[in-house]
Amino acid sequence: MEPLIEMSGVSKIFKDKKAVDHLSFDISKGTITAILGPNGAGKTTAVSMLLGLLEPTAGTVKLFGRDPKDRTVREKTGAMLQEVSVMDRLKVREILELVRSYYPNPMELAELVRLTGLGAADLNRYAEKLSGGQKRSLSFALALAGNPELVFFDEPTVGLDITARRRFWDSVRQLAGQGKTIVFTTHYLQEADDIADRILLFNRGNLVADGTPEAIKSRIIKRSVSFLVEGDGPELRSRLLALSPVSECYSKDGRIHVTTEDTDAALAALFTAGLPVHDIRIEQGRLDEAFEQLTANHEEEAV
Amino acid sequence: MRTITMQCKAELLRVFRNPYYVFWSLLMPVMFYFIFTRVVDTGADNVGAWQAHYLMSMTTFSVMGSAIMTLGIRLVQERTQGWSTFMRITPLPGSVYFFGKMFGQTMMHLFSVVFIFIAGYLINGVSLPWHLWIYSGLWIVAASLPFLALGTLVGLMKRVDTASGVSNALYLALAVTGGMWMPIESLPKVMQAIGKWLPSYQFGGGAWAIVQGKVPSWRNVLILLGYLFLFMVLSTYIRKKQEAV
Repeated sequence: MEPLIEMSGVSKIFKDKKAVDHLSFDISKGTITAILGPNGAGKTTAVSMLLGLLEPTAGTVKLFGRDPKDRTVREKTGAMLQEVSVMDRLKVREILELVRSYYPNPMELAELVRLTGLGAADLNRYAEKLSGGQKRSLSFALALAGNPELVFFDEPTVGLDITARRRFWDSVRQLAGQGKTIVFTTHYLQEADDIADRILLFNRGNLVADGTPEAIKSRIIKRSVSFLVEGDGPELRSRLLALSPVSECYSKDGRIHVTTEDTDAALAALFTAGLPVHDIRIEQGRLDEAFEQLTANHEEEAV
Repeated sequence: MRTITMQCKAELLRVFRNPYYVFWSLLMPVMFYFIFTRVVDTGADNVGAWQAHYLMSMTTFSVMGSAIMTLGIRLVQERTQGWSTFMRITPLPGSVYFFGKMFGQTMMHLFSVVFIFIAGYLINGVSLPWHLWIYSGLWIVAASLPFLALGTLVGLMKRVDTASGVSNALYLALAVTGGMWMPIESLPKVMQAIGKWLPSYQFGGGAWAIVQGKVPSWRNVLILLGYLFLFMVLSTYIRKKQEAV
């Protein structure tokens, strides 16, 4: 499928800091992509370059095969930025009508209201009087005003409560169902896992992993088999490590854990070797822990 | 075309919904006008001429204030609140956005002129031939351009507090030294010499000439054009420099 977004060899250097380092990826039409990473990973910088708000220091960025600043690209793109943008002394309806007038095929006002959860009463309120959550809804509506084919959300759920969060993702799924291409940044792995069909994992300005949530998870989550054993000792440990599916061995909370890529193979190996183990459990590492560990490791490497 | 109309309409709504505008640009000048033509005896020889002269002073004072302060502070606000960034990702050309702003400002200036002229008529019965009302009004609206350029310069400041402090100080200093509060002849010699080179004095000067039945001098026009050019070059240069980072 033709790529809607092409980033090749893109770097961005601010004064003394390298925010993004030689980034290359393509995103194809109709996909939901999460740019995942801890704070300061370069997610917002990458999105700013995709939106043509920042010029890359090196490399090229193309949207719809053109420069992101091209007017035809702008007409097909929408974005919800991190900073809450409101124009003061205008009512919500007036702002929405104004921004809709910028686009050749804007989204119907009723549809904007339905998707973003702005109430009918909110439309007649002054934008600066809205609560934090309502301002986010307005931002969301502004991103969709032009009925864009490609939508960017930069940390869209920060500061939203659970209900608002769920509502937001429901709407995003509907948009994806209409064939729109969606790119969002987040630092919650869970969110990326739930929504996206592809995760770009960022750390320190680098793309450290790229794949489906499943692939990313299996890469970063270590599974293990734990059990109780009679006569733990160096000899047993070395016999465990000698089993081919086992990569590591340690004890925790009075149980022996062996980590493995494939728990089935590890179990089979344990039984075949006839080791004196009992009370076997299969353990799955917690996603968030693994994610933290992964990004923390990179930090240490960089130091 | 529809986009331009919508943009102008939005800017216009914002201007007239701004309570600061109503106070600083309409009520303050009218209050001053009342005080210096009705309450304080200025000992002017020709009372009628003084009343017309001071009406021009207060109208130029008002318009100069909205051009520098309203525009400048609003620009800073839009940038700090992220609105300017959002506008950059919409397909709206920057030129239309700028045009809408200037349209809103011009309409606001026109409204101030009409409002204060009517106040002058009601308070002192200032009477001028109709064409002089129109000429002086048009002069004030047109010659406010250098101050709008100064407003965009203020608009480049990083923080709203700084912008409002600086523009306030600039505004009052220009008004006093340009002879808008009291005739420049009543200022010390040195101040007069400086004042005559300031845009505020030239701005008022054109309007004062018109109500005396004269036309604005070349000196008025050229100095104002000079300042317009200077402020535009400065603000373009600074913006380029800020964007480069």
